[in-house]
Amino acid sequence: MRWLIPILIVDALLIAYLFTGGAEEKRADLVFASSSEHNSLDPQQLSWSHDIRIVENLFEPLVKIKIPELTPEPGVAESWTISEDGKTYTFKLRKDAKWSNGDLVKASDFVYAWRRALLPDLAADYTQLLWVIKGAEAFFNWRTAELETYAKLPAKEKSEERAAALMKKTYAHFSETVGLATPDDFTLVVTLERPVPYLLELAAFITWVPVHANTCDAQTLMDPESGRLIQDPYWTRPAESATDEKPALVCNGPYVLQRRRFRRDLLLVANKQFRDYALMGNKSVLEVIVPDGQAQYLMFTRGEVDWIPSFTGGQMGPELLRQKIALERLKEFRMPFTGEAIAAELPSRDFVHPVPSAGTYYYMFNCNEKLIDGTPNPLHDPRVRLALSLAIDRDRIVNAVTRLGQPVAATFVPVGSLPNYDAPKEAGVLFDPARARKVLAEAGYPGGKGIKGLTIIYNTGSEHENTAQSIAYTWKHELGIDVPIKGVETTALGDAHKKQDYSIARAGWNGDYLDPTTFLDKFLKDNGNNDSKYNNPKFESLMKEAATQLDPKKRMALLREAETIMLQDAAIAPIYQSVTIDLYDSAKVKNMHLNPWGFRRTENVVVDRGEKK
Amino acid sequence: MTRLIVIRLLQLPVILAVIFFITFALAWALPGDPLQRPEGQRPPPEVALAMKKQFNMDSMPSFLVSYMKNLAKGDLGPSLKHRDQRVNDIIASGLPVSAVLGVASLFIALHIGLFAGIIGALKPGSGWDFSSLLIALVGISLPTFVTGAILLVVFAGLTNLLPPGGWGSPSHLILPAVALALAPAAYIARLVRLGLADVMGSDFIRTARAKGLSVKRALFDHAMKVAFLPVLSFLGPAAAATMTGSFVIEKVFAIPGLGEHFVNAVLNKDQFLILGLVLVYSTILVLFNLVVDVAYAWVDPRIEI
Repeated sequence: MRWLIPILIVDALLIAYLFTGGAEEKRADLVFASSSEHNSLDPQQLSWSHDIRIVENLFEPLVKIKIPELTPEPGVAESWTISEDGKTYTFKLRKDAKWSNGDLVKASDFVYAWRRALLPDLAADYTQLLWVIKGAEAFFNWRTAELETYAKLPAKEKSEERAAALMKKTYAHFSETVGLATPDDFTLVVTLERPVPYLLELAAFITWVPVHANTCDAQTLMDPESGRLIQDPYWTRPAESATDEKPALVCNGPYVLQRRRFRRDLLLVANKQFRDYALMGNKSVLEVIVPDGQAQYLMFTRGEVDWIPSFTGGQMGPELLRQKIALERLKEFRMPFTGEAIAAELPSRDFVHPVPSAGTYYYMFNCNEKLIDGTPNPLHDPRVRLALSLAIDRDRIVNAVTRLGQPVAATFVPVGSLPNYDAPKEAGVLFDPARARKVLAEAGYPGGKGIKGLTIIYNTGSEHENTAQSIAYTWKHELGIDVPIKGVETTALGDAHKKQDYSIARAGWNGDYLDPTTFLDKFLKDNGNNDSKYNNPKFESLMKEAATQLDPKKRMALLREAETIMLQDAAIAPIYQSVTIDLYDSAKVKNMHLNPWGFRRTENVVVDRGEKK
Repeated sequence: MTRLIVIRLLQLPVILAVIFFITFALAWALPGDPLQRPEGQRPPPEVALAMKKQFNMDSMPSFLVSYMKNLAKGDLGPSLKHRDQRVNDIIASGLPVSAVLGVASLFIALHIGLFAGIIGALKPGSGWDFSSLLIALVGISLPTFVTGAILLVVFAGLTNLLPPGGWGSPSHLILPAVALALAPAAYIARLVRLGLADVMGSDFIRTARAKGLSVKRALFDHAMKVAFLPVLSFLGPAAAATMTGSFVIEKVFAIPGLGEHFVNAVLNKDQFLILGLVLVYSTILVLFNLVVDVAYAWVDPRIEI
């Protein structure tokens, strides 16, 4: 019976495992589901929204954004003054702000965090946001050059000591040249390259939070090979896996990181040192990582998770929103004879909470004179672009194609997303086929004759494909232009954007900080994100003027004028404002305050599952 | 036998080197930049270059040299997607999970498969035989994402008997293990059924029967010894495949195993993770095949190696 042995081995292994089952733990106060594991919890390195969602709870910046007003309010800084030229900000730090290990939060912790963000050794997606600080960009480039020189040294001259000496020199150079000063432990003076009227909003962004300088610095080492500073990637370790030599991540926000099980879950518990500890609406938050949207939704309906932020779940999220919209429409309808409301018979979709986000779904036009293959580009003429933009039936797209009721976009900066900026709706472009035909004829293509070389590219996915088809149909129908559509992989679309390997491309843009420039800067001719290659001197000069204008009202007016010009030139065709969908039962989960920017105060959220008492 | 083991182990580095260079060439040729997000703000070129240098990805030779240096120390490098993780740790956290799931599904597959195969062979042409073949056909034909979703809906959605996903307790194991087991169970059932039908008609069984052995004794003591061999050779690659995870099942049931990385690492163009996974998987596959070969000789004395 030797053949039975492999089977018995498998049996024994499984039985051994079954006897090692874990114990059930107490449920966290707030449980939410995410679809992907985090890419980084390092505040100066991360850039993905699902990472920010966790890390914003661990660190408190100088200034916070108040919701729902979306205005700056004190964080670690209790007050601040701004110099007359708008270039120097002096922050007074509160003296009761503490790290989770009991240390006081000092001005030097901010300088340390910003310095590490500015080192090319640790540079990441958002490094550039700190380049508004005086000398920051020059420092970055100086260090890059120094590293370059070091790398060229002969192997025997390289050593850890030499790399450390270079690091010391770098830090000295930083204190001399970069506009940051700490006259005392609780004063931070920030000198800027130019006036930055939105510095407070910027300072509220995740890249600008402090880190506990001592523990962070203790977990770095010098690479003798390249001369670079290397950060232990596990320095953001949770309390559960910390040891004496390898301490847990020290936080100054409402929570600390208690446990992290890669691709399973992440547990935050309230930070006892946080000054508003007593006022927090919950004392623990568990994030469970569930990649599949249907499984997420199943867990939500079973009550295992309280909240699913930014739910897409394949087509699950949009479908739930469509059902909610349909129910809304059915509200008035009643059954014949009985007079019962039809909607009452159907399952409720009240737990679906859509919110228009600070992001625009748009079509981008290649504005270069020639296409990448060297053929003349008809889109170089703004009138052709305008005609195409005028012939996009946005209402039909949101009502019949996506069917998610997104707000139709006439402007690039989403209307209503910024408290003090009034996007130029009237200058915006909406569906007007008669005018489109007229403009196209003026450009020399009456009836669409003679236009060649246009293709719409989009990343494969039904929602993008259907939209592209609808747009191509309208162009054919209204303008007589045949535009083929082509789906490509997401990364390939990104590549095409960057290299202008397209004529018309789908794109999306989300704002990072509360200022119109987060949207408009990308149309400056030298901006690295100007994928349209839009270039209009009038736009440039207005943006330049706005950059030095200290009066906020006048500045906004200038930006508004600049956006008007860009829209009339049709560098892009805005289509709609994206909508994100959160799932939660508002009878149980309170104080959510959804807003276009996805700002959250998780510590204020109260979950009442109606279990105990 | 010792000679075989030694030769195979000596071959291993050569096989791994060939696989490594092919994978490396393919991974390097993938379009897109793994350090850049496909949408949103793009860092300025100097920052993008600095990021590449952090990972020695500024040029192909510098990547290869540094990768080899680290590999010699047993370090598979960082992950480009999960920047706060090392590839070693990603594999170390995912492999045991996938392995447990793999063992559980092999357990189910072996039991169901052997049971169905033997029943069918004992009573060929009967209703039992017919239904076991039918189940085998269904098991082989239905892809796991269908069976997984059906199991999920029935046992987690409609009846609430089992958790819909996650990891940590034995109850989390049942649904994905069953979903994963169906296809190999069906395959094993067919191998056993056909093997037994063949062997049961052979001379030595007839002799055994003539000497007075019952059908059952002849089957279990003599015929299975031969009919099990194809199952054994199937078990090697099947064990390697199930223990390194299944993309679909792990995604549907939210299991933090290795399977999902095989697909996502390529989609994210995470070179370090791609190479690390391929190296680990190839090693496991070669070793499992070696174990199967050795077991073969041990189960069937006719085979000499």
